[in-house]
Amino acid sequence: MTIKRSDFVKGRTAVVPATVAVGALNNKFAWAQAADFEDDVDVLNYALTLEYLEAEFYRQGNSAGLLSGKERQYLDKVQIDEESHVATIRSTIMKLGGSPVAAPGVDFGDAFESRSKYLTTSHTFENTGVSAYLGAAGFITDKAILQAAAGIFGVEARHAAIVGNLLGLEPEGGVYMGATETPLTSAEVLDAVSPFLTGPGAMQDDAATTR
Amino acid sequence: MNQPQGNQLFDGKPVVEFRSEHDRRSFLRNALLVGVGATYVAAAAGDPRSFLRSSAASAVGTRKGPASGDLDILNYALTLEYLESGFYDRGIAAGLLSGRELALVTPIRDHERAHVQAVTDTITGLGGKPVAKPKLTFPKGTFTDKGKFLATASTFEELGVKAYHGQVPLIESGDLLAAAASIAGVESRHAAILADLTGGDPFPGPIEANLPMKAVLKAAMPFIKS
Repeated sequence: MTIKRSDFVKGRTAVVPATVAVGALNNKFAWAQAADFEDDVDVLNYALTLEYLEAEFYRQGNSAGLLSGKERQYLDKVQIDEESHVATIRSTIMKLGGSPVAAPGVDFGDAFESRSKYLTTSHTFENTGVSAYLGAAGFITDKAILQAAAGIFGVEARHAAIVGNLLGLEPEGGVYMGATETPLTSAEVLDAVSPFLTGPGAMQDDAATTR
Repeated sequence: MNQPQGNQLFDGKPVVEFRSEHDRRSFLRNALLVGVGATYVAAAAGDPRSFLRSSAASAVGTRKGPASGDLDILNYALTLEYLESGFYDRGIAAGLLSGRELALVTPIRDHERAHVQAVTDTITGLGGKPVAKPKLTFPKGTFTDKGKFLATASTFEELGVKAYHGQVPLIESGDLLAAAASIAGVESRHAAILADLTGGDPFPGPIEANLPMKAVLKAAMPFIKS
């Protein structure tokens, strides 16, 4: 199996479902049990679930009309990045012969009630994403996939820093999280994002969710 | 694809002067790896793993094993971190910044210092010899014009991000890879903030671009006094 970096990059143009359908939470429970990952597809599906969550978060948040000017431009770009990540990871999983997990059901509560809540939740998501990628990177065996995953990780770090700065947070501990990024295990990431994942839904055929 | 803006870095004036011939050679020795970078680009179109199995070991004939390659990558990173660290030391000391800008850039200086220490310790821990701090001589004006300083910083950070990401598939040790990635993520944060401060694009793409050592060296070479 050969994955070229261009396979990742070209995903940017792929179609991403406008609405992430309510899907099965089987992946949530898989996370809870997984101390590590079986193979690259496992890691990618873990990343994919986070990316689904982020993409849907920004789709809803950017539709809420909370931002203007430069902030709006920035967050629009973040949404495009996350949608691109969903598309590239999905296509990579399929190239590896795996099945992309369905999108999880999500509920962002009152995150879109105000600009401040939206950006604060975004900040949490982005920093969690950074740490999730770093924590999972060691399980990736294919070097080309690793390079692409690292490339996504870096972009999540950019998002986190900019959103922290839009919030006017303290530079250290708000914009930057130290001189090095901190990894999180899949269990820790699950704890962080589970409030946004809704109860188990019906299993959905992957093709049905995305086409 | 992504050419570094680094060609304009410091107006092409030498900024690095190594303290000893050993250190200069140690850095320039990475030029030997240029062949590896080029091979990687070619091989990536086929099977990256086959490259990693064979070419990494054979393309650089003098390499005895993976640790040696990793040490070279680390010394390459260390030199870039020394450059950044020295650059911010001077820039912060020059008192060009104030307010939020100062608050945002001062931690960057601290991070680069910490990276120098971390990479140095890692090299030592692996039994290698870290290059000593090179002598840095920046062109006139770098630290008297705020706009120039921040623009140079932005260029530097973007180059640093690409340099780290270019090495990801070449690093053999898993632990080392994690350490390098944890630094690279911070460089991405720096790059985004500096882009914002300079009116650039903090999010140039959905995936960080990367440059092989060859391209980074091409950007850096003109600034190295031999």
